[in-house]
Amino acid sequence: MAQFVQTLALGLLIGGVYALMASGLTLIFGVMRVINVAQGAFLVLSAFVTWWVWRATGIDPIALAALTTPLMFGLGWAFYRLVGARLRSAPPSMSVLLMFGVALLIEGLLNVTAGNRFRSATPGYFDESYTLGPISLPKAPLYGFLAALAVLAVFYAVLDHTWTGRAIRAWAQNPSGAALVGVSAVPTATLAFALGTASAGMGGSVLSVLVPFFPASHYEWIARILGIIVLGGLGSLPGALTGALILGLAESLTSVYVSPQWSILVFYGVIMAVLIVRPQGLFGTRVREDVAA
Amino acid sequence: MGGADGLSRREFTTVGLGLGLAALVGCSGEGSAGGGDEDELVIGASLPLTGQFSQPGQEAGRGYRIWREMVNADGGILGRKVQLKITDDASSQDTVVSDYTRLITQDRVDFLLGTFSSLLNYPASAVAERQGMVFVEPAGGAENIFTRGFDHLFFAQPALSADQANTFVDWVKSLPAAERPTSAAYTTQDDPFTRPVIERLQGLLEDLGIRTVYTSVYPAETTNMQPIAAAIAGKKPELLAQGAVFQDGVGLVRALKQQDFSPKAFFQMSAPSNAGQYSKGVGTANTEGVFYSVSWHESAPTPLNKEFVTAYAKEYDNAVPAEDAADAFAAAQVLRAGIEGAKGTDQDKVAEWLHANEVETILGPLKWDKRGAPLGSFLLAQWQGGKVQIVSPEDAATTKTVIYPKPGWS
Repeated sequence: MAQFVQTLALGLLIGGVYALMASGLTLIFGVMRVINVAQGAFLVLSAFVTWWVWRATGIDPIALAALTTPLMFGLGWAFYRLVGARLRSAPPSMSVLLMFGVALLIEGLLNVTAGNRFRSATPGYFDESYTLGPISLPKAPLYGFLAALAVLAVFYAVLDHTWTGRAIRAWAQNPSGAALVGVSAVPTATLAFALGTASAGMGGSVLSVLVPFFPASHYEWIARILGIIVLGGLGSLPGALTGALILGLAESLTSVYVSPQWSILVFYGVIMAVLIVRPQGLFGTRVREDVAA
Repeated sequence: MGGADGLSRREFTTVGLGLGLAALVGCSGEGSAGGGDEDELVIGASLPLTGQFSQPGQEAGRGYRIWREMVNADGGILGRKVQLKITDDASSQDTVVSDYTRLITQDRVDFLLGTFSSLLNYPASAVAERQGMVFVEPAGGAENIFTRGFDHLFFAQPALSADQANTFVDWVKSLPAAERPTSAAYTTQDDPFTRPVIERLQGLLEDLGIRTVYTSVYPAETTNMQPIAAAIAGKKPELLAQGAVFQDGVGLVRALKQQDFSPKAFFQMSAPSNAGQYSKGVGTANTEGVFYSVSWHESAPTPLNKEFVTAYAKEYDNAVPAEDAADAFAAAQVLRAGIEGAKGTDQDKVAEWLHANEVETILGPLKWDKRGAPLGSFLLAQWQGGKVQIVSPEDAATTKTVIYPKPGWS
């Protein structure tokens, strides 16, 4: 029983962290209508910035999210304003190519500047845990989980309770309709894109403590968070959270009770099963192609 | 070892950087140009100086060259100076075959030395065998290389790849029965290099009566080691062995500490040999007592080892030789011993002598079975006080202390 609770707890914690990583991807999908394949590279970039500042100053890496989040927000804002927005009327495949190029550029720059080595921020608590009776809760994923909840709460509050948030959602659902009621396209999309990269800022800071990373690590992260948002429904925040928790739990329970070899297969099996029943994902909405274009 | 038999993705991406440099090295030519000196002993080899295996390939080239300088300073072999003829096979199986064929039939070299990786040594050794040439290879420890009935082939490392962990088994055997671990857990990445080692280790430890309480294989893309650590902690094994590559090795140490579980003995493949990156990843204090196996160590008290390390540092910007360079140096030592032992350059006699005798190398003494597979074992290394020490076998050990049982996490 203790082992079952322990496994559940580990699954939920890591699931929360995955939700943090995936939330920005789903938000950006809402704006660009394409998968931002550079989201993994943004995560790794932020992890490298965190590691570098942590090593130079000793400031707690997760607290450094207070630096990386605005930094990545600014980077995302500038990038979309200067480059991304130009492709708004181009076919979606152009945006995918552009973001893939950005991912390779970031990977290459990190290779040259930081070197092709594994890095890892190791503050005092990186390998410690809290004990609750027979259950141990590792501190780093726990802090990551709390950070995820905070980010998701902020996103939710902004999107559901502010005019800006409504504008973003309106624009994501139907750009021309939104324009008709006075939502100006570029500033709204820029803001949404920047919020998405900002979450990668925080996610990267958490990542730097969780697992060793090197410039090419972004491939494994983009694959994982893409699976999550497909399961949850592209563009849906509750979907990203649910998909991430399902991945975390599937990974943990399968590893412990079946075999780690099956854990990834089980997750993708769940995605396939869900997509057969609900092609739009768990929380995704069917879009009317005629008005959404 | 690792570098030769399976490059990690990270190594794979870095090797490209060596390309330009390798091209230069490849063109630089070896020894006296024209080779007019009748009396020189010409030794040919084709190495992967470019391409996928360029990293170990270039290190092997360095090992061969350092050996040439040292042997010529020592008066050569049987009074003849050594000339090396090294070509670049670009990590290609086709090129390595034509290279060795040309070395034998057109360049008419006196002897051959092997290339790098099992992939390239497999066809290269067949060319040599067909032409009746002795083939001492510094890498290529895959089992299937030695099942073809060749009698001119010799592998100049202490043991075949899959036997890497046997040295750890020997150490367990050396413990008094009452102190031996009674239960063991095994987990390995699903990797062609790590998995056979861990599976063989499990069989050998089971033969010693150590009960297996947990086994698992995890996919290469696993980053979250927490559930595996939780499952292992639930079984409380006294001995834990992991077929790690790198990130998974670091991840498991962290997760075990978070689960507050520390086994009495802990053996990991590969990860702990990446000295700085490993100790930074897990925290230096947490390295204490971790075992791994390796073919060579820079401070091993083997004959000529110190001279080799010094010569290498002098030639290459104070660098510490990579294990691959040391393996190549040792292969050349084996060839020299064979020629001197047979007192001539007759290929069959050299092969016969090597089958019958033991050779001192910087890796330690090497001897072979009739397949040319080595009969020794790897060195057993252990992290002690933030440094790596060789703890076994005795003649190569850098310390007499073995940390056992492993202390709890810091």
